Amino acid sequence: MVNLTIDDKQVTAPKSATIYEAATLNGVKIPILCHDKKLLPFGACRMCLVEVEQMKGRQIPACTTPVTEGMIIRTSTPDIVKARKMVLELLLLNHPLDCPVCDKSGDCDLQNLTYEYQVNSNRFTDAKFNHEIDYNNPLIERDMNRCVLCGKCARICDEIVSFGALTFIDRGIETKIGCEFEEGLNCEFCGSCISVCPVGSLLARPFKHKARFWALTKHKSVCGYCGTGCNLTLGVKDNKVLTTIYDENQGFHKGQLCVRGRFGYQFISSEKRLTTPLVRKNGRLVESTWDEALELVAGRLKGGSNVAALATPRLTNEELALFKKLLVENVGTKNFDHAAGYAHAALTEGFARSFGAAASSASILDIQKSDLLLVIKTDSYETHPVVGFEINMAVKNRGAKLSILSDKRGKLSKLPQAQTLLHRPGSEVAILNAIARVLIVDKLASATAVTIAGYAELVKALSGFTAETVATQVGISAADIKKLASDYAAAEKALIIFPAGQAYSGHNADLATAAANLALLTGKYDKEGCGVLCLSEKNNSQGAVDMGFIPQEGGLNALQILDACADGSVKTLFIAGENPLTSYPSLAKVKAAFEALEFLVVSELFLTETAAKADVVLPVCSFAEKDGTFTSTDRRVQYFKSAIRKSVHIKTDYEIFSNLVTRLGGAVPPTPALLFNEIAAKTPGYQGMSHVSLRKEGAFAPVATKPEFVAPQAAAPFTAETGKLALVTGSALYHNGTLSEHGEGPMHVCPENYVELSRADASLYKIAEGDLVTVASATGSMQLKARVTPRMPAGVVFSPYHFSEAPINTIWSGSPVTAVTVSK
Amino acid sequence: MNPITPIINGMKITLKHMFMKPVTLQYPTERPKVAIRFRGLHALNVSHDKAKCVACYLCPTVCPAKCITVEAAEDANHDKYATVYEIDMLRCIFCGYCVEACPVDAVKMTEEFELANYNRKDFIYSKERLLVKK
Repeated sequence: MVNLTIDDKQVTAPKSATIYEAATLNGVKIPILCHDKKLLPFGACRMCLVEVEQMKGRQIPACTTPVTEGMIIRTSTPDIVKARKMVLELLLLNHPLDCPVCDKSGDCDLQNLTYEYQVNSNRFTDAKFNHEIDYNNPLIERDMNRCVLCGKCARICDEIVSFGALTFIDRGIETKIGCEFEEGLNCEFCGSCISVCPVGSLLARPFKHKARFWALTKHKSVCGYCGTGCNLTLGVKDNKVLTTIYDENQGFHKGQLCVRGRFGYQFISSEKRLTTPLVRKNGRLVESTWDEALELVAGRLKGGSNVAALATPRLTNEELALFKKLLVENVGTKNFDHAAGYAHAALTEGFARSFGAAASSASILDIQKSDLLLVIKTDSYETHPVVGFEINMAVKNRGAKLSILSDKRGKLSKLPQAQTLLHRPGSEVAILNAIARVLIVDKLASATAVTIAGYAELVKALSGFTAETVATQVGISAADIKKLASDYAAAEKALIIFPAGQAYSGHNADLATAAANLALLTGKYDKEGCGVLCLSEKNNSQGAVDMGFIPQEGGLNALQILDACADGSVKTLFIAGENPLTSYPSLAKVKAAFEALEFLVVSELFLTETAAKADVVLPVCSFAEKDGTFTSTDRRVQYFKSAIRKSVHIKTDYEIFSNLVTRLGGAVPPTPALLFNEIAAKTPGYQGMSHVSLRKEGAFAPVATKPEFVAPQAAAPFTAETGKLALVTGSALYHNGTLSEHGEGPMHVCPENYVELSRADASLYKIAEGDLVTVASATGSMQLKARVTPRMPAGVVFSPYHFSEAPINTIWSGSPVTAVTVSK
Repeated sequence: MNPITPIINGMKITLKHMFMKPVTLQYPTERPKVAIRFRGLHALNVSHDKAKCVACYLCPTVCPAKCITVEAAEDANHDKYATVYEIDMLRCIFCGYCVEACPVDAVKMTEEFELANYNRKDFIYSKERLLVKK
């Protein structure tokens, strides 16, 4: 810490701080246009000029000057105010005065400063810019006439998003912000540039002219898409969520969001939301009352083990706990599960046996502290973009090493010095086993590894996985495997990251165990910047595991439940928010299960394909209409409050479950807050938490590890017959689960399913970009739009699973790799 | 005091008024003269066959009676315009702040003061009713 004087006030600041940071830290406001907490200092706008006595009273920019001991700083002398007014006058010289029609008005830094410094007239005259305005992009509108050239958009796109879509083009007074060759914006549409723009140059098109900034009520919430657990601020007007608002002080990610979080909110206030309970009468779903619907459901739930349930991990912890209580105590069944039964296996089976806890042993914050990141599948970026931004920053700003094991290239492989080992699809476990064996054989393992239970068995089980044999099977060289092993062992802190989810059936317990073995062998766990981070798919996937909403001893898992429906042993199925017809493997199997069911209850936001098959449909609330807690992938428990009032005719899942418990003769705590106290008392790591204590910010539930070596089973390497391609499923960057289909933003940029194939395969089968191709597997065939990309290796095709119009489960039956033919 | 004096004084006033022009305005057969700065019914100014209003929301923001409803949208030329512009005359206090706040001289107040109506819904003046007629 250094001591300095700011405006006659004695203050202290960290040694690494700039004058601007020191002032902000001590409550002195310095006006600035080109600074953001997350970005490196730039010094473009010259608004933050201050006088430093030691520098003979010269005016220097506060945002780029580091503090030194004994500095005497003045932030608002008459000379400085004069200089700032001059800067504003010069900016306003070219800036159009169209505040009445500019959506930034009210939240505009330039407008606020102009008002604050009372720049009412201009001594200079000059023509305004006459740049063409880009209205064509569905999400980001660019009006460079309003630009003040602070460079924040170009910097955030480079430093954090690492895409580089925007940059300064031309020189001198001609300078402007634009895309390559002055073409339209074709990027990831995360909207980070919009969030940092101090003026109205970059605006969110979905929010265009919807409301003025001052008319919005700002509600803090937690994002309802992936498991990263990003914090959101929702802008609400007239009980409708109209936009998301940027707040650089929110969450570990400092307000940074991805395309889904920023632009995917429309499902909350969608017109298509269900508004009344529906009951099937004479084969048709007709509007009904809550009393009738719930009485009907309660009657059917008395079936005991004939009843099964599937819940989405988008429900709150309280709802999942209550649903489990309803099923176990009042219905008397053990048949319930979530996320297709395997998307959580990495946690519930893999980590549970390797670390003794069904949770990741590392947090997202460890990414910034690690020296080497071993990412399994480049899809980690697509599934969890904000985690991807953290990886970008670790690699680009801190120089962390990045090694990637993947069946295809991706955004992450483009990072500086990223090493991508492209292997044949489905062989991750074999490679991790080979690395583990190299660690053991080459004596790279830590000395303490032998003391961990199961060491001897592991050594024996890995004997077949020599680098050479595995290398020939998976298509990477033995030297690469050995290099990766030695790099991993040599790094002081190393973190393994892999995504899990319904489309990643290969990322199962064995993969988690194999990854955990590397961490255990080298002692890289339970330490800062070390461990294994499983990126669970949905916003409360980890919470669903923590609440124990997983297959029970003697109960069925999700896929077994569907089998049991088909063979008649399960007669009543309660689906809370899942959409198996789109997201579960093997469409034919799911359809057959639903056909055979006697009674299907679905609680949903929308009339999904699954809900359309139900006997009773219960309309429920989205996360913005209820209170509760979500647990993010790294066990951060976060409380969120409702942002809007729910419609009088819909209920929260909590209300439905508690109503059913009462109808079945049980008793429940009246509010989620009281139930959470019960949850906190008995869930490991949640002790001491309550809605009140989590109100300000989320808290980590610590993970106690009890390491053990388990030999993972490596699947036999996938070999495609000639003429067949290997189909791998996964997540698209713009979507998460099937909910994002109801968010307009994601659907603007990625409206339909597609199949991505390599240039080599495209020319082999004479397929061009955008062609409609027939993809056929052993279980079915479907038509998909082709995308030809350089990232796919020859022989591998990729397709995401989010789309109900063309569900990939028509041809995919749950195996990590499916042999398909592609033809025009 | 002489008890007659007040009666005479009173009669003086009475007689004086008998020869004065009557104050009562025989409304509606006679019309009042409205001052030019009178704040009556609002009107939306028109320019180039379009309402001048750019839907900046400054009038609903400044309105102390919260009687103005504006909804904005983008037209074919990407310009902002008001799809909805409604004033609830039952709530309006005719303060004229909306006119003062308007940055584009789109709203004015006319000399129109006869606003009585039979139904509550008729007091909601829509954009069509407010537009200046040619």
